[in-house]
Amino acid sequence: MRDVRIKKKVEKILRKYRAKANVTVEDGIVFIKGTVTSWRKYVEIGKETGRIKGVKGVVNDLEYPGKEKKRKKRGEERVIGKADVVIIGGGVVGCAIARELSKYKLNVILVEKSDDVGGGGATKANNALVHTGIGEKMGTLKQKLCVEGHKMFRKIAEELDVPYEECGMWIVISEDSIAYRLPRILKKFLASYIIPFIILRRAKKLGIEMYKVSKKELLKREPYVTEKAIAAVFSPSYAMTCPFRYTIALAENAMENGVKIMLNTEVVDITVENGNVGKVITTKGAIETKFVINAAGLYADEIASLAGAREYTIHPKKGATLIFDKETRKFLNHSMTLLRLPRIEHYKGGGIMLTVDGNVQWGPTIDEIEDKEDTSVTAEEIERIFKTYEPLMPKFPKKAVIAYFSGIRAASFTEDFIIRAAKKVKGFIHVAGIQSPGLAASPAIAKMVASILQQEGLKMELKKDFNPIRKAPPIPREMDMAERKKLVERDGRYGRIVCRCEEVTEGEIVDAIHSKIPACSIDAIKRRTRAGMGRCQGSFCLPYVAKILARELNIPLEKVKKGGDGSELFIGKAKCLLEEKNES
Amino acid sequence: MALSSSLARLNACWRKKMRVDVAVIGGGPAGLAAAAEASKEASVVIIERNEELGGILQQCIHPGFGNFIFGEMLTGPEYATRFIEKVRAAGVDIMLETTVLEIENKKIIASGRNGIVEIEAKAIILATGCRERTRQQILIPGTRPAGIYTAGCAQRLINIDGVMPGRKVVILGSGDVGLIMARRFTLEGAEVEGVYEIMPKPGGLMRNVVQCLHDFDIPLHLRHTIIDIKGKKRVEGVVVAKVDENLKPIKGTERYVECDCVVLAVGLIPENEIAKKAGVEMDAITGGAIVDEGMETSVDGIFACGNAVHVHDLVDDVTIEAELAGKMAAKYVNGMEERKGLLKVKAGKNVRYVVPQMLRGKDIETIRFSFRVKKEMENARVVVKAGEEVIAERKERIVRPPEMVKILAEAKKIWEIRKEVMVEVEEV
Amino acid sequence: MKEMICIQCPVGCKLIIRKKGEEIYVEGNKCKRGKEYAINELRNPTRILTTTVFIEGGKGKHEMLPVKSDREIPKDLLEHAMKELAGVRVKAPVKCGDIVFKNIANTGVNIIATRDMEEK
Repeated sequence: MRDVRIKKKVEKILRKYRAKANVTVEDGIVFIKGTVTSWRKYVEIGKETGRIKGVKGVVNDLEYPGKEKKRKKRGEERVIGKADVVIIGGGVVGCAIARELSKYKLNVILVEKSDDVGGGGATKANNALVHTGIGEKMGTLKQKLCVEGHKMFRKIAEELDVPYEECGMWIVISEDSIAYRLPRILKKFLASYIIPFIILRRAKKLGIEMYKVSKKELLKREPYVTEKAIAAVFSPSYAMTCPFRYTIALAENAMENGVKIMLNTEVVDITVENGNVGKVITTKGAIETKFVINAAGLYADEIASLAGAREYTIHPKKGATLIFDKETRKFLNHSMTLLRLPRIEHYKGGGIMLTVDGNVQWGPTIDEIEDKEDTSVTAEEIERIFKTYEPLMPKFPKKAVIAYFSGIRAASFTEDFIIRAAKKVKGFIHVAGIQSPGLAASPAIAKMVASILQQEGLKMELKKDFNPIRKAPPIPREMDMAERKKLVERDGRYGRIVCRCEEVTEGEIVDAIHSKIPACSIDAIKRRTRAGMGRCQGSFCLPYVAKILARELNIPLEKVKKGGDGSELFIGKAKCLLEEKNES
Repeated sequence: MALSSSLARLNACWRKKMRVDVAVIGGGPAGLAAAAEASKEASVVIIERNEELGGILQQCIHPGFGNFIFGEMLTGPEYATRFIEKVRAAGVDIMLETTVLEIENKKIIASGRNGIVEIEAKAIILATGCRERTRQQILIPGTRPAGIYTAGCAQRLINIDGVMPGRKVVILGSGDVGLIMARRFTLEGAEVEGVYEIMPKPGGLMRNVVQCLHDFDIPLHLRHTIIDIKGKKRVEGVVVAKVDENLKPIKGTERYVECDCVVLAVGLIPENEIAKKAGVEMDAITGGAIVDEGMETSVDGIFACGNAVHVHDLVDDVTIEAELAGKMAAKYVNGMEERKGLLKVKAGKNVRYVVPQMLRGKDIETIRFSFRVKKEMENARVVVKAGEEVIAERKERIVRPPEMVKILAEAKKIWEIRKEVMVEVEEV
Repeated sequence: MKEMICIQCPVGCKLIIRKKGEEIYVEGNKCKRGKEYAINELRNPTRILTTTVFIEGGKGKHEMLPVKSDREIPKDLLEHAMKELAGVRVKAPVKCGDIVFKNIANTGVNIIATRDMEEK
């Protein structure tokens, strides 16, 4: 009956967009098949359908001109292993689940298609915030898990020896905050009293510490914030971490506790036998298992479809961010966001944020995109970032940009996290639609997945010898001088500075290359050590880092890669083009 | 002196704590000349982060160095060798692969393979050179694939590390580095599709436009820039466009250029991270330290020279400036420094900046003012004034922003007048 | 009348060249090298070639040895010379000024090292 009601509503949407399509609804999951005239319409139909009450998933198979057809890769049918649980995807979510499951007497394999954990999708390009949950829609799963995850984060960060800092967050309410046409005096009243009251009431409900400050107090604590500020609400426990180091640490700790991680392993098929998951077929071979956890991020919909368990379509949303020189750190004491009403749906608005490494970032933007791998930053995005965040801090030196990047959010059309056992395929667990606040929620997501596995019949017995502690390799720049001296005396490579901007030593780079999950590319080293992340963006250290990689991996220099396959830094040895000419 | 014996010295000089008269930070052309000069009257150590002395000169294998100082056209390594031999002969201590972490009250803390060392110096000379402006600093949109290099990085990769960064290259920026790399890539067998320059005039010396571009029929596209970089794993192409007077891309002029490598020669920035930590005052325009006529900074006993002060176009000028810094640092150490007061030096009409930015009345007979003009001017008159009085003047047939202009003035005259000094360029 | 920019030194004088019969008149040069350059450039343009060759067994981190032609060679032969040098491998030690390749492109000009490179 509910399904019939949903179907009618969807059909109305389809008529609005003049789509030639059929709708079926099963148990709250909407399947749309047919054609529309543009990608825009495809997205809008998906989003509007996702908003209908009672919809638990939108599988949007509408065709539109220019839609890319997926080509199926060939796998290896040969069985190479057996596992109790196979986790697909080595992003922050997959790794958090791996670590959680490593507490139990289980045989767990994590497969990741790229050459590194946390190196592929949203994990490597986000704003590194450990949100409190105040910015999420009330009553959503993502809010619940964010609030829980935030509370778990400090302990996990301590166990894993990764940075975690409660830097605090201002929600600034200024004259620019309310775009509605209202009398000035009413706007001011709303900004000074009503809005802070609503935020604080929410915070109280969620158990998040927050308090209101006056304009005067705000400007005293943040002298560079806009004069147009009317009031602000402060969240002292808003935090930040390093998503790369956190993900790698999760993976390393999981490995120490017995999880097997297979890199460069892409899932090409999942077999289902008698309604239950059977084998996960990868480019390296098949793994027999009873349980599959789909943490494939942007590709979660495609993975689900391999098992015949489609319940959602992922629509990628890009977020671009600018990174500023560390010299700009003095312009703010805490991260901050400018509240804007009306709010853009499913977007906290971004802001001017600190990072654990001492930089400042502006962003992110939010835009629907067609291509799941379009991590370009456009001129329009750069301009928009400047325009959006300048009103928050007009005197900030905007010229001090040292880097920019885009990350892709793996959003579902229902916009909430989808974490549940598949409706039709036993043993297949969805962990999909994990966009922001996925990083903050990751510890709670992992716990939730463990309990779903138990409900689904997996025997889960805690290990006695689980070791929650993972020690990060030494970072000389973060040590006190006496300790640092001792380290350099023991191994001179920690004295030799390779990346001058970020003060990264040869020792750290060698550690990264020979770590549990080896860094085999310039980007993988960059994520672990920060070499090349500073103001010169690697123009000094790249040749040195490349040479260390070549030496440690015992490969010729010209084979060194920036990231994954096909991203070779060089086309060959010097003179190779002249030799080519000599030969022809 | 043979290299091996000096390397032995290198290790011998490694002490966890050392005292020295003059510590020179940076062993490139500026550091070498400063050290050689200072070592005539003082004990000197050079702290160099690279594995050898010579700095950027070692990768500048082309000729064009030393015309003024030696009356010869040397290559970079040849020019470097002359000064390396000088500092070795003078017994200067050399610490290689050693990076200065901080300076506090003339105490330097540096990190190297042999340990972390504290160096107490009576005077410090900052000769830290410059770094290249990056793609990010000029906000070129697009993807971030392999194949995007700053010109200096590409130069090192080809000339020292022996690898080719690309087969078909687009170069942005027509400063000398960009022009020289256009020739270098072409000689190595790569195709340079073109050099793109956002300004209406080339950024480098005219002779380099001739011998690096014209000689090889490489097109120079003035008033053009890169507005997009394409490619997911490696560079696949760029979009170039013409720009208007405000340097904004003009719609409709976009053109896609297929290439696998983008080389950026979009400017140099003095490297002064250590100077800033030491509290040295900076010049917002040069990006370098503010110095007096003896290359001393705002901090007593800390000197600076070379590209760390302002970016030079000729190494000969760096050498002259660095030798002065070395000489004055030695004087300072030996308690022979004189000071008559403090006069400011201002950039007047059509002058972007002047070095030195201040005069302290040191024991120097003729003061050398180095500056850059804001815009090109033919038949120009260069004037140094103290108050309203002209102290020195000279005619130049042409002055261009890419070429540093130098003029000498008598210190005695300035101190007789004791008024603010101004350097101006006007049309005759 | 022809204009060119002298490349003999970084000054880059703008030269104006007039031909009267066989006689060539040069104006705008600040030194005598300018005139020589102009005449040479009209009759047979030549350049110093600077490039690198592979070095084996060298100390330090250099894969390449910087070299130059000890005299100018005809501009048209630069590409040929580069190809000829592509396969050249020099063994350390090398002294600055050592000949690493003789008679490049059959010009009688030698290619010499422009720095020392010690043995490993």
